[in-house]
Amino acid sequence: MTPASPMPTKLQEEIVGLAESINHIVENFKKLHNPLLESTEFVPKATEQLDKISQQTEQAAHKMLDRIEKITMREEDVINGLTKIAALADGAHASELKAQLESLTDMAGQNRDDAYQIMDALQFQDITAQQMNHAAALLEEIEAKLRMITGILQGEKSSESEPSGMPAKKERAYDPHAEFVDKQAHQKDIDSLFATKK
Amino acid sequence: MADLKILAVDDSPTMRRIIINTLKRAGFENVIEANDGKDALAKLKVEQINFVITDWNMPEMDGLTFVTTLRSTPEYAKMPILMVTTRSVKDDILEALKAGVNNYIVKPFTPETLKEKIDQVLAG
Repeated sequence: MTPASPMPTKLQEEIVGLAESINHIVENFKKLHNPLLESTEFVPKATEQLDKISQQTEQAAHKMLDRIEKITMREEDVINGLTKIAALADGAHASELKAQLESLTDMAGQNRDDAYQIMDALQFQDITAQQMNHAAALLEEIEAKLRMITGILQGEKSSESEPSGMPAKKERAYDPHAEFVDKQAHQKDIDSLFATKK
Repeated sequence: MADLKILAVDDSPTMRRIIINTLKRAGFENVIEANDGKDALAKLKVEQINFVITDWNMPEMDGLTFVTTLRSTPEYAKMPILMVTTRSVKDDILEALKAGVNNYIVKPFTPETLKEKIDQVLAG
């Protein structure tokens, strides 16, 4: 039996170089671990912040709705009162008085209608809440992927299931295309679609 | 119109309040509300509802599942249903139509559109 021939020096050098490269890569992965972990921890904070914005805009919208409902009710009372007074107007200045009361009634009506328009505009709250829910869901996906990467770096086996350490997800219902823009053109398209398909 | 009892289904309390106010302005005083499809089904069991206005994207049970459930329940198979949602993609609208909605409004809506669509659905 002939003894094994010694490894050629060139090959030995190549293997040592390769081992050093692998060590270098492992070191770099270790360096990546902490920043990745830190970034992962930031994501739930960002999600929480988005949820807080939704809650607070909702509270503000309800305060505005409280006021708008009171304003419209008062304006309605003003209109009714002025109409009654106009019906009672009598005497030398009756026509002048009626004209003045009609003008005031119109103004009260305009105030009421403007208040209703503010109420209609508050639909923005639902739409922006959906946009924020969409952003939060995307952030949760990023968090899941970051947790998976940090898990792999820590030596956990990669799996398709939820990565370890992932907090329970809030159920989010939203339209990813929700936007607060004038939808009259869309509505016309929908109407014609319904007219043809029905 | 005064006899009509409307069920407004939307997971956004702000939107429910706007819809209810808009309906009252249009003369529909008898309105009850539900948070999602599941809640709406529970309300339908105890209330004599004649008309449903529903959102699409909701937790627990979404609007499309809710509509499909209603249409497959003999008791509610002919219930007038108006969908009010932000979804304006053509495929979504076709899906809602296939599920059985009687009409469809895209948010943000105007009070005039809401009234017009309710009248259209009631006119059959």
